[in-house]
Amino acid sequence: MTDPFLHVDELRMAYGHVTAVDHVSIEIPKGEFLTFLGPSGSGKSTTLYAIAGLLEPTGGDIRLEGRSILKTPPHRRNMGMVFQRYTLFPHLTVAENVAFPLRVRGCPGAEVDAKVKAMLALVRLEKFADRLPAKLSGGQQQRVALARALAYDPPVLLMDEPLSALDKKLREEIQVEIRRIHRETGVTILYVTHDQEEALRLSDRIALFNAGRIEQIGTCADLYARPDSHFVAAFIGDSNFLSGTIESVEGPMASVVLPDGSRRRGTLGRGAKAGPGMTAELMVRPRRIVVADEGLAVRIDDCTFLGDDLVIQAECHWGQELWFRAPLALAGQFTPGTIARVNWAEEDALVFPTHTVQV
Amino acid sequence: MLLTYARLGSWRWVLLGLTLLVTLYLLLPIVFIVALSFGSSQWMIFPPPGWTLRWYEALAEDPRWLETALTSLEVGVLVAALSVALGLAAAFALVRGRFRGRQVLRLVFLTPMVLPVVIFAVAVYGFYLRLGLNGTLLGFVLAHTVLAFPFAVLTISNALAQFDPSIEDAAILCGASPLAAKWRVTLPNIRLGLISAAIFSFLISWDEVVVAIFMGSPTLQTLPVHIWGMLRQDLSPAVAAASSILVGITLVLMLVAALLTRKSKA
Repeated sequence: MTDPFLHVDELRMAYGHVTAVDHVSIEIPKGEFLTFLGPSGSGKSTTLYAIAGLLEPTGGDIRLEGRSILKTPPHRRNMGMVFQRYTLFPHLTVAENVAFPLRVRGCPGAEVDAKVKAMLALVRLEKFADRLPAKLSGGQQQRVALARALAYDPPVLLMDEPLSALDKKLREEIQVEIRRIHRETGVTILYVTHDQEEALRLSDRIALFNAGRIEQIGTCADLYARPDSHFVAAFIGDSNFLSGTIESVEGPMASVVLPDGSRRRGTLGRGAKAGPGMTAELMVRPRRIVVADEGLAVRIDDCTFLGDDLVIQAECHWGQELWFRAPLALAGQFTPGTIARVNWAEEDALVFPTHTVQV
Repeated sequence: MLLTYARLGSWRWVLLGLTLLVTLYLLLPIVFIVALSFGSSQWMIFPPPGWTLRWYEALAEDPRWLETALTSLEVGVLVAALSVALGLAAAFALVRGRFRGRQVLRLVFLTPMVLPVVIFAVAVYGFYLRLGLNGTLLGFVLAHTVLAFPFAVLTISNALAQFDPSIEDAAILCGASPLAAKWRVTLPNIRLGLISAAIFSFLISWDEVVVAIFMGSPTLQTLPVHIWGMLRQDLSPAVAAASSILVGITLVLMLVAALLTRKSKA
């Protein structure tokens, strides 16, 4: 088997007693747009900084096209990077900023000029070539930073929450730009964000980080439809969790007894070790819950009109809350205080044992 | 409520008067000196009975004035260069470093600012006796650098603390070696701090008199020491003329420093 284009192999980063990155392994094919998604402090940025060479790993290896890059100092790694904060060189114009990496590499002047022009065209900022960074908006600055990071044709482009300082509308605009630039250049992109919507919008695959480990890695659809764990199910998309006890396990399916005594079947989370008697969470997406004649009895707490449909907050009689959506036509049925019955298909339920074996 | 100027009512006239008095108190001696340096009276009578440039001519005729001024200039420039270089290194350690005892080190760096100059002068004099540095250019430069260093550390640290180290990281990722990144990106962006530090260091040496009196020799003397000597010998208006020139130079340098700091804030 050939080595992947970029291989993060059992990466470990510890500071004193704190393990920021705990045996993280990722294989990234050339040209992929991979997002590191996760809450703050989950180790996603630390992993990115280790690939950039700005932080030194405690253990493990990072290989680019089969060769370890750990011994290569950051300025020789040839990585492109766009930072969370604005990092354009304040004393240089936009064009000089983009030219900087080429000049330190000793490129001839004519080549530099041509490349700068091409890069500014790529991010559509040709008109701003002679401005100083302070005269640009935040979004423009990050686009120049992108042009600067791509000017020397890096094998990998690292992006550390580059849009987190921008407002929503601008962020979405630049996300479209980043997608286009990824298509046009074919560069491999590793993108760090804590915003699941941004991750879903941009990525080919998502690596979901939690507490220094990768919880799951896969396509956006994978992570949404087949979450491996409670954490993934809760982080990607909306979800309802109902606690219960596992009664029996048959292959990939488990039967869970809910507090009201009713039985519900669902698919076990991948790799989860489950057995009868274990406590577990039954997960159902709000979109998969329907109102039916038979099913779980819930008391309606609140019904909100939200454009295309209704959002209904409800409570099981043992106190656990859940919510779901319903078509507008049913508005009359959901007066707060009434009891409704809700149901879902067996294949839409997932079961996550609470006592997962800690590795 | 806040006490603002607009709310003061008739008190504002009192405030205005007080401000005027303080300003006059600060400025008048300088005005007097300058006026006397152009006055025709040898006994520095005020107001001057007539106006003349002969005290400035006297300055030009006595080579000691130019000699000592050049010595002061030489010492000052060397002090500025040395204290900026050391201050830059110290600022990097204090601002970017993550080691134990950083705060203690910072205080140690600033002690020359609070130590009485006379005590420092006596100490340096005694120390230099052993090294044979009294009355040498090197001796002057080293002693004045100690006095100027804290100001350089403060000024450059402030400038460096306001510069986002991520920008330097970006330069490194762009392919610049850590040293090249500092040279091509960090230093140009803290240049105003460096220039201010140089100007302040120069000025500290330029009008330093206590240490210079202790260390001065007949062959090597700074301008302030010469002025002091002249004052003790005879009270000639030439001293006023020399002082006026000193005030002029200082004023220009302060103005440059002030303009630079304003520009950096804008």
